[in-house]
Amino acid sequence: MNKKRRLWMLLGAAVLLTPLGLLTDASAWGEWEESYYQKALGYIPHGIKNALHWHAPLPDYALHGFSSVAGYYLSALVGVAAIYGVFWLMSRSRKRDA
Amino acid sequence: MHIPDGYLSPATCVAAYAVAVPLWAVGFKKVRERLDERSLPLLASLTALSFVIMMFNIPIPGGTSGHAVGAALLAILFGPWIAFVAVSLALLIQALLFGDGGITTFAANALDMAAAGSFVAWWTFQALRRYRYAPFLAGWLGLVAASFLASIFLGIQPHIAVDAAGKALYFPFGLTTTITALTGAHLLFFGVVEGIFTQLGYAFLKKTDPELFAEEAR
Repeated sequence: MNKKRRLWMLLGAAVLLTPLGLLTDASAWGEWEESYYQKALGYIPHGIKNALHWHAPLPDYALHGFSSVAGYYLSALVGVAAIYGVFWLMSRSRKRDA
Repeated sequence: MHIPDGYLSPATCVAAYAVAVPLWAVGFKKVRERLDERSLPLLASLTALSFVIMMFNIPIPGGTSGHAVGAALLAILFGPWIAFVAVSLALLIQALLFGDGGITTFAANALDMAAAGSFVAWWTFQALRRYRYAPFLAGWLGLVAASFLASIFLGIQPHIAVDAAGKALYFPFGLTTTITALTGAHLLFFGVVEGIFTQLGYAFLKKTDPELFAEEAR
């Protein structure tokens, strides 16, 4: 129990610190806005302009109308919950098969 | 390194799915065979940690940013197949819920960050396990390998997909540029961060859960 609790504390501390990830505005290399291509190349590649547009519920880890920190915290919690949820389903289906 | 939709040609996306799907099938089978009530919670926690770690964007000189992945620690503890499935799950959730990384490019992203990252880290760790800094080197080389594969996916696009006027249809910069910028940044910065995270995580778990390492040799 103790070791499990310590790992959860580590995970909790990591979640608490996630807003540190917002300190930079720089995007990852290659993950630019379309305007970047217009500026750098003089055109937006056809495939990038017409890409599949997936409507994610929390795009860019943000929630419309909330501060970026609140959105980031919510995203961290939703993501962690989704991952635990999938593993929970996996362990349940495992038990059922056993 | 989360390649968005529209950056890879349809042929590249299809090829990536064709390779990734059988690998996921093998990995998923291993997850179900090898994991039990004791190890599943740890795998879930470390997968969640991998997801959270990827939220820490670190700026580097040159105006871009990046992050560690956490694949190497999972690979050292659970083997590369299970780490591949776990990191793929984190990437899938990032794509579906947060629009981080594309849907059409999900298989490519999983092949670089989850598969290359896990397998190279695991091989490195196995080869160097007698040395104290094996976890650091596993994390560093794993992420460098992941970024190299991502550089290949992106960098071949202008060579294979241009329109009649010679304009790139998808990602426009070639291999020299992607390898220099993307692999280079991981070699010098993000790989080092992944290495430090792997070394610290390994030390933390070895201290709190020594029994875990009885089975580590698998």
